[in-house]
Amino acid sequence: MSRGDGTVAAGTPASSFNEREMQICTVARMVEDERTYWVAGGGGPMYAVLLAIRLYAPGAQYITEDGVIAPEPLLPFEPVMTMVSSRAGYRALAWGTMNTAGNHAQLGLMDYGLLNTLQVDQHGNINSTAIGTYGERARRFGGPGGADSIAALCWRTVLMTDQEKRKFVERVDFISSPGFLDGTEGARERAGLPPGTGPHRVVTPWAMYDYTTDRRLRLAARAPWVTVEQILAECEYPPVVADEVGVLSGPTEEELQILRSELDPRGQNTGERSAWVVFDGETYTRAAG
Amino acid sequence: MRILAEGEAPYLAVDPDGFRAFVRDHKQRALKPKLMSAHDAISRFVADGDYFVFDCNYFQRGPSTLVREVIRQGKRDLWLCGKFSYVDVGLLVGAGCVSRIDCGFFWPGATIDRAVADGRVRVFEYSNVVMTLRLQAGAMGLPFLPVRSFGGTDGFRHSGAKLVEDPFTGQPITLAPALNPDVAIIHVQQADVYGNARVFGTGIAHQESALASKKVIVSAEEIIDTEEIRRDPGRTSVPYYAVDAVVHAPFGAWPGNCGGYYGSDTPAVIETFAAIARDRVSEYVEKHVAPFADDAAMFDALVGQERLEKLRAAETITEGYRP
Repeated sequence: MSRGDGTVAAGTPASSFNEREMQICTVARMVEDERTYWVAGGGGPMYAVLLAIRLYAPGAQYITEDGVIAPEPLLPFEPVMTMVSSRAGYRALAWGTMNTAGNHAQLGLMDYGLLNTLQVDQHGNINSTAIGTYGERARRFGGPGGADSIAALCWRTVLMTDQEKRKFVERVDFISSPGFLDGTEGARERAGLPPGTGPHRVVTPWAMYDYTTDRRLRLAARAPWVTVEQILAECEYPPVVADEVGVLSGPTEEELQILRSELDPRGQNTGERSAWVVFDGETYTRAAG
Repeated sequence: MRILAEGEAPYLAVDPDGFRAFVRDHKQRALKPKLMSAHDAISRFVADGDYFVFDCNYFQRGPSTLVREVIRQGKRDLWLCGKFSYVDVGLLVGAGCVSRIDCGFFWPGATIDRAVADGRVRVFEYSNVVMTLRLQAGAMGLPFLPVRSFGGTDGFRHSGAKLVEDPFTGQPITLAPALNPDVAIIHVQQADVYGNARVFGTGIAHQESALASKKVIVSAEEIIDTEEIRRDPGRTSVPYYAVDAVVHAPFGAWPGNCGGYYGSDTPAVIETFAAIARDRVSEYVEKHVAPFADDAAMFDALVGQERLEKLRAAETITEGYRP
């Protein structure tokens, strides 16, 4: 059932959508059926997994940081009420607490972690704490929340972020949640993290990245309306570029119908500032964002 | 045990024997009624300088009435357990109640930025799970617990955690220092007058926080009869002897959602976010807290019974929230 690498979508290509919708659809197609996902509360990750369960991977299950296991949430969510809320936890198979989620991931029960991030580096390290020089002149953000445990303990971590220069850097300003740390072999294990875990993919509205065998970020696929050069221009530190960069499918009408009418009818997530793209049957054209 | 790396941040002193002695001398064994007003509970059990944990947060079955009372009484120099927090940290910082924060997650914004830049508040770095694990260690009477996350991060460097060689496997393992807060405030759906408390739905670390803390204040939507507790003991989330005060606080999680009781008050939620983002907490306090003797007066003046009833009606889900 799964679309595998996110590049292929079955359905009718949508004629008009925004780039946030594109990003969510790409991640949804990557969701593997009958696997477990620890999903960051709210935002793109949660909509992506919910879309996948509706359309591609009906047997995928997810948990959230408050110990909700495999819910069938009552949508839409009220603003920010994506955890410890009756709608978000509706019809779950079990309810627990934060230590439930942490312990279950630590046991190896979570196949994938699905996260948003502020900044990512060439080794997949994640910053959600501070931009600038920590402790001196930095803009403070919220901290890792549950992301540190997700990135440390789930078998594979999938990140969602925007394709902006300042978000793709050589080294993040602050490692809030671990990628491959300094990128050397065994760095995670030396830091006490379980073996066999780590960064898997990064998805932006324009691109999908994987990692080379020596643990460096690699551009693997692009949206059909951007070039590799355009993507690289939006990376402060250039990633490795795959020998053959794939082309992602645009969203389908079926995906957008579910996303817009069932999952996020108020446009709380997908409505925010992102550029629109139109498809005339042959060519995708991006309007200024 | 060989220490391989350690964080550099100050952390609340780890003292399981001291905590046991406190429990021996202060935790009430007898079934004695502990019902009191929010004012009396905060005034008796929260002291300036306390290490302070609140469970859940201002929007999600959190002790919002009790947080407002802490602000109302102008408590100072608190050290916050900032796990899974949206605006609580910002509100308490903006109201001048805070000097230190252990960060798992809090909603950032101009209020906290200014307090940190001015040197009024220091932030130490953890993650949500590492904070709930620290509470778990504290709730078990242990000095620390090992955890297989957090190592290798910059948060680790700015924390009280240590990386050691595990004497059993020989592999590196992170140890998180136990946390025994001075005071915990927790909002629950039901409690009896002795403090037997029932949480319905998921939570963050209500049991850990209650057992790990020296002084525990529980606010409850409903005060129920102890016979009801005895009829379904498996529902008791926190037993009476952990609890020092019980506060009857209907809509005690407003403007948040309280599972099975009422939905969130969206305009009030957005108003609170805006106060933190724009560093207008003092205006928020002037409107919602300062003019009123308690939350009942605030609800009468600012929200109204009709609106509260609408929030109640909006909570259509009962599965899992009714014994």
